[in-house]
Amino acid sequence: MKALLNKEFKLCLHPTNLIFLSMALMLLIPSYPYYVAFFYTTLGIFFMFITGRETGDVVFSALLPIRKRDIVKARVVNIAIIEAVQLIISVPFALLGAKINPYGFNAVGMEANAAFFGLVMIMFTVFNISFIPAFYRTAHKAGGPFALGSTLVFIYIVAAEGAVNLLPFFKNCLDNFDAAYLPLRLGVLSAGIVIWALGLFAAFKKAAANFEKVDI
Amino acid sequence: MDILSVNKLCKNYADFSLKEVSFNLEPGYIMGFIGRNGAGKTTTLKAILSLISRDGGQVSILGEDTVTQEKFCRENTGVVFGQFDYYKTKKLKTITGVVKEFYPEWSEKTYRDYMELFRLNENKKVSELSAGMRVKYSLALALSHNAKLLILDEPTSGLDPVSRDELMDIFKNTVADGERSILFSTHITSDIEKCSDYITYIKEGKIVRSADRETFLSGYSLINGSLDMLNEEGFKSKLIGCKTNAFGFTALVDSSLLSSFGAVQSAPATIDDIMIYTEKEAI
Repeated sequence: MKALLNKEFKLCLHPTNLIFLSMALMLLIPSYPYYVAFFYTTLGIFFMFITGRETGDVVFSALLPIRKRDIVKARVVNIAIIEAVQLIISVPFALLGAKINPYGFNAVGMEANAAFFGLVMIMFTVFNISFIPAFYRTAHKAGGPFALGSTLVFIYIVAAEGAVNLLPFFKNCLDNFDAAYLPLRLGVLSAGIVIWALGLFAAFKKAAANFEKVDI
Repeated sequence: MDILSVNKLCKNYADFSLKEVSFNLEPGYIMGFIGRNGAGKTTTLKAILSLISRDGGQVSILGEDTVTQEKFCRENTGVVFGQFDYYKTKKLKTITGVVKEFYPEWSEKTYRDYMELFRLNENKKVSELSAGMRVKYSLALALSHNAKLLILDEPTSGLDPVSRDELMDIFKNTVADGERSILFSTHITSDIEKCSDYITYIKEGKIVRSADRETFLSGYSLINGSLDMLNEEGFKSKLIGCKTNAFGFTALVDSSLLSSFGAVQSAPATIDDIMIYTEKEAI
């Protein structure tokens, strides 16, 4: 796995996987639907798959002395690292953004608090479990799987932002920095982490099963 | 023990099938795998390497099944699929640095020696290499991890005659210790004549013949005769392939049937003759 991850980082990463980390700066925008910053992460992941197709990455990997499913495992771990790094890098910007916001609150979306990060992890999960297995059905068609993944992500964002604006529980308990509701927000974050981890595992299992059937 | 054993390998596509492909390769030998375009050479090699799923049959490398012992079999196999066509914007040293981590038996010295022999500059990007150089880089990688079996698909295509000759010498040296074997497919029959110990010929997904080179070549003969002979009853059915002109015919036949043709002129067949006449079939 170490050798495969080395290959992922040295041969497979697309420049945008690093460049889009800077989208964390979007969390400094005073009022903004902050999910957009994390949509770029999924876009970067899509670019990595497109580049992989152009560089012959799947065929090259299939000729290495590894099991076919290990190729998928390494890619899923790579995606997990990209998403986790994006989230971690974003934390200080989220805190700073809330502090310097001249309006004192996010007027067009959810506050970038702990619960928001938990909901972003669920957003990543929606993308991971739809895009990754769909790609490995062919191991070369990435456009269709990304259309599916990004559509579901868009629906999720609308639903999540809608819930915060329309449902009192979400509005009162999750969409603020009120210390009284901190345990609840941390609960959402924890749930997000668990769902994200389980989603990655499920995405790997399904994608690996799909990839085993692909003729390279 | 055979280094490679292919037993009744089958693969079905809508418009093409591999039909019970079987052959064996012992340690210390080079096998040329011949057939015209679309005959199933690459499909067979891919099925051996488990790059495509099978619809039947078994493949074992060093006695181990390639499906259940996938990792072991891959570690002991070096693969060259034409020219190196991956990660074109990356430098060779970056790619090598990644590849060598996968092979416990990687020999840095062997790699350096081949890079020098092939005059390959590690600081160049793949996109800066000529077609021939890309084949050589593929070979340098495949030869540097001490693989017991080398599977090469069209390794000499795109190479100049001098480089091809160099490669044939490298192939012979590679198997000289009696521990390693090479299976390579090619259209260039002169390469087969130069260095193959065994020849396996595939046509329309089916093995026509697999034998050592002498047996393979002596199994076929060319005969010449008058056009009248072709009209004799049962004559044409004994021919493998036939060409006619104003003066008569030339046909490829199974050498074991030579005596049954009576007074015809016969001559040994070359690999080209065997392929051309077999594909042409009897008129």
